[in-house]
Amino acid sequence: MSNLRCYSFWVLLGYCAYLVLPLYWLLSMAFSHNADIVGQFEVVPGSPTLENFAEIFSNPVWYEAFGNSLSYVVLNTLISLFVAIPAAYVFSRYRFLGDRQLFFWLLTNRMAPPAVFLLPFFQIYSAMGMFDTPLAVALAHCLFTVPLSVWILEGFFSAVPRELDEMARLDGHSFWHFFTRIFLPINRGAIGVTLFFCFMFSWVELLLARTLSGSEAKPIVVVMTRTVSASGLDWGVLAAAGVLTVLPGILVVWFVRRHLVKGFALGRVS
Amino acid sequence: MSSRPYDNRAWLGVLPVVLIVAFSAVIPLMTVVNYSVQDILDFNSRFFVGFEWYRETLNDPRFVDAFLRQIGFSATVLALEIPLGIFVAKGLPKNSRMTPFLLVFLAVPLLIPWNVVGTIWQIFARADIGLLGVAINAMGIDYNYTSEPMHAWLTLVAMDIWHWTSLVALLSFAGLTSIPEPYYQAAELDGANRWQVLRFVELPRLKGVLTIAVLLRLMDSFMIYTEPFVLTGGGPGNTTTFLSQYLATMAVGQFDLGPAAAFSVIYFLFILLFCWLFYTSVVARDE
Amino acid sequence: MARVELDKLTFAYPGADEAVLEDINLTIENGEAHALLGASGAGKTTLLNLLSGLLVPTSGSISFDGRDVSRQPGRERKVAQVFQFPVLYESLSVEDNLAFPLRKSGMTPDQIEVRVGEIADELEISGIRNRRSTQLSLFEKQLVAVGKALVRPDVSLVLLDEPLTAVEPRVKWQLRQTLKKVQADLDVTMVYVTHDQTEALTFADRVTVLTVDGVLQTGTPEEIYATPQHEFVGHFVGSPGMNFLPNHVVDEAHGDKIGFRPEWVQLSGTGVVEGQVVRTRALSSQEGQPYGITTVATDHGEINVRGTLSAEEGATTGLKVDQYVVFADGWRVA
Repeated sequence: MSNLRCYSFWVLLGYCAYLVLPLYWLLSMAFSHNADIVGQFEVVPGSPTLENFAEIFSNPVWYEAFGNSLSYVVLNTLISLFVAIPAAYVFSRYRFLGDRQLFFWLLTNRMAPPAVFLLPFFQIYSAMGMFDTPLAVALAHCLFTVPLSVWILEGFFSAVPRELDEMARLDGHSFWHFFTRIFLPINRGAIGVTLFFCFMFSWVELLLARTLSGSEAKPIVVVMTRTVSASGLDWGVLAAAGVLTVLPGILVVWFVRRHLVKGFALGRVS
Repeated sequence: MSSRPYDNRAWLGVLPVVLIVAFSAVIPLMTVVNYSVQDILDFNSRFFVGFEWYRETLNDPRFVDAFLRQIGFSATVLALEIPLGIFVAKGLPKNSRMTPFLLVFLAVPLLIPWNVVGTIWQIFARADIGLLGVAINAMGIDYNYTSEPMHAWLTLVAMDIWHWTSLVALLSFAGLTSIPEPYYQAAELDGANRWQVLRFVELPRLKGVLTIAVLLRLMDSFMIYTEPFVLTGGGPGNTTTFLSQYLATMAVGQFDLGPAAAFSVIYFLFILLFCWLFYTSVVARDE
Repeated sequence: MARVELDKLTFAYPGADEAVLEDINLTIENGEAHALLGASGAGKTTLLNLLSGLLVPTSGSISFDGRDVSRQPGRERKVAQVFQFPVLYESLSVEDNLAFPLRKSGMTPDQIEVRVGEIADELEISGIRNRRSTQLSLFEKQLVAVGKALVRPDVSLVLLDEPLTAVEPRVKWQLRQTLKKVQADLDVTMVYVTHDQTEALTFADRVTVLTVDGVLQTGTPEEIYATPQHEFVGHFVGSPGMNFLPNHVVDEAHGDKIGFRPEWVQLSGTGVVEGQVVRTRALSSQEGQPYGITTVATDHGEINVRGTLSAEEGATTGLKVDQYVVFADGWRVA
């Protein structure tokens, strides 16, 4: 036993090193002059600099793109939670005509390749005058964040005994009062985990975000790809932007770290 | 489960979800199906062609190539990420002060925008300025992923492992922490060796979370687009062009609406088929 | 089978100031059914883990048949354990579960087959031999877990950690009977850990009462019941527990307190002490007369009387003590 634990510990250590190296390289480049990056190979930056970050914080194209990304991610997370919470609640509490089929159908949407939806999305949102707005991207991302949210929340809600609902009713609480003052607060961990997953999948997605945004609502991930092609590869600025895009994720995961493992375990398979 | 009351008013609760998914999935999907049976020269002149595009797509050697490449890629990363993820999870201490930090650290690659993942590996693996590229060349191997198909392929697999093994590890860790300690004590008293503990104690208890892990990795690896698009652009040649990239080129690049739509429908059906096959085989063995 | 001796056994978690167990001396005879009885927090589980080899004693020793095994892993001590909930290999059949501990013992497949058959017959689970363990009821699962613990012919000690906890209430009694039967049939040394005094008294040949202060008493169920060595034993064992009165009430010269079982006292017109009936609880009826527990409130606290329920609630009555034991500073002196 102790042998295998030990063996697995080395696997873990090796894997962590494997995770760190590319990240280290990103950081190292973010703090280097572009000339040094292209000019000579250095494991540790010879003359560290903040000029790449200064470039990003002084150029409106960069920081507005950050704002655009955050606005559609927040919109998407709000919409997903708003529609998924009631649905997950009724899935965990009632049987109804077609409930199993509906649940499975929701999950199949998680399987749809975004590439399949590129064109219809483009046409629908253009026709509705929503093209190039954060709302368009947020709605498009609902394609995979909503089924996922229902799935995760249903797992958590099912673990809360139904007797609780009954008890609150007998104590004379109205359903609305029970739901907002009792049920949701005890499930705040679940909501935190769901928030994490919505954020994660909306923040990291490129294909739909790029297709549905023109010049106004251009998200940070798109600015990054366009800068690559336009400015003749300024690796330093690109790496600095990369570092900045990693930070919000770390922040979110830090807040939900206590619930993360439980959230993973409770997802229901069927 | 069976004690849940039957009440069709519950539909009111799922209505918002149904509406939003209908808007963001059903209508687009119907549009795609509609296009897939028409020849669209421009939006005012179109005519019905039946299954012509489907026949054409399935007979297109470039589609078949991309499809086989896709299967090869998905199979490779699944075969590597699932066992590696399980071992990483086994190495994680269950109740140490380090555990939350390690979990957050493991989650980091999952939270990096996919094109940034591509960018990181692009600069990490470059033979001239990347740490990995330079290190491999220093060992006397002539490594260059931009010109050697095999190198490009290996770099993509290495990147996918870097990006996604954490998901398997976190899921497995969640499963492992739910195994009560007596299972390990009993196995030890029974004289089980470490492989028997893995085989007879841990894997049966990880079945649920591993099913989720395999399904998620199967779906997502089959849809992979952004990372290879940034890292290799599908090259050298078409050697790392997977289905999504081929489709995106067809739909947005060349505006071949009909064939692209037929391609989309086939693509979606294949993912559904694979997931369904895997899922039913898991459930069937349970009965 | 082994005779188990604990000698000045002490255990403290590394870094902890206080020991969980201190100076425990205990002998468990070969082939004995021994119950470890105590409230939660008394260190029962720690003692069990020391016996199973999961923990290593801080000082003192554990020996099996005179051989010091304190530092041996449980597998080498040939210890088997049944847990609070059924611990089985979920992907294997009942038969394969039973055979699992034998695979490493050097037995041939034929011998294993025979032994598994014997154990399955003994526990009357032959009918479910080929089922997957996920298809069993909790009761059946726990039976298989017991079988798995007993299957090694050379098992030295079988530990049972509150084995009835997870089983459905209506079959708890049945499982306890089965355990008692196989223990007698196979003549194995068993240590049964429980906080339930009824379980302990009905299962064991001898009972050890454990508290945070250590072992209070070891003895047969009859000894534990009739001659508790310490007030706590008297109070903890029995349902309801022992009654206590100051010794001057019965003009007892020794000690400071007397204790008597509810059936050692009667309601009578006059008595050593008087009180009011506050509760009656019928348990059964004997010859048409309701029989049960009468609770009487006295100046020295409530006294439970077992016998015919002859007094009404609220009535004043005397109490006559037929038999008692004497305690001084908690310990029995006469």
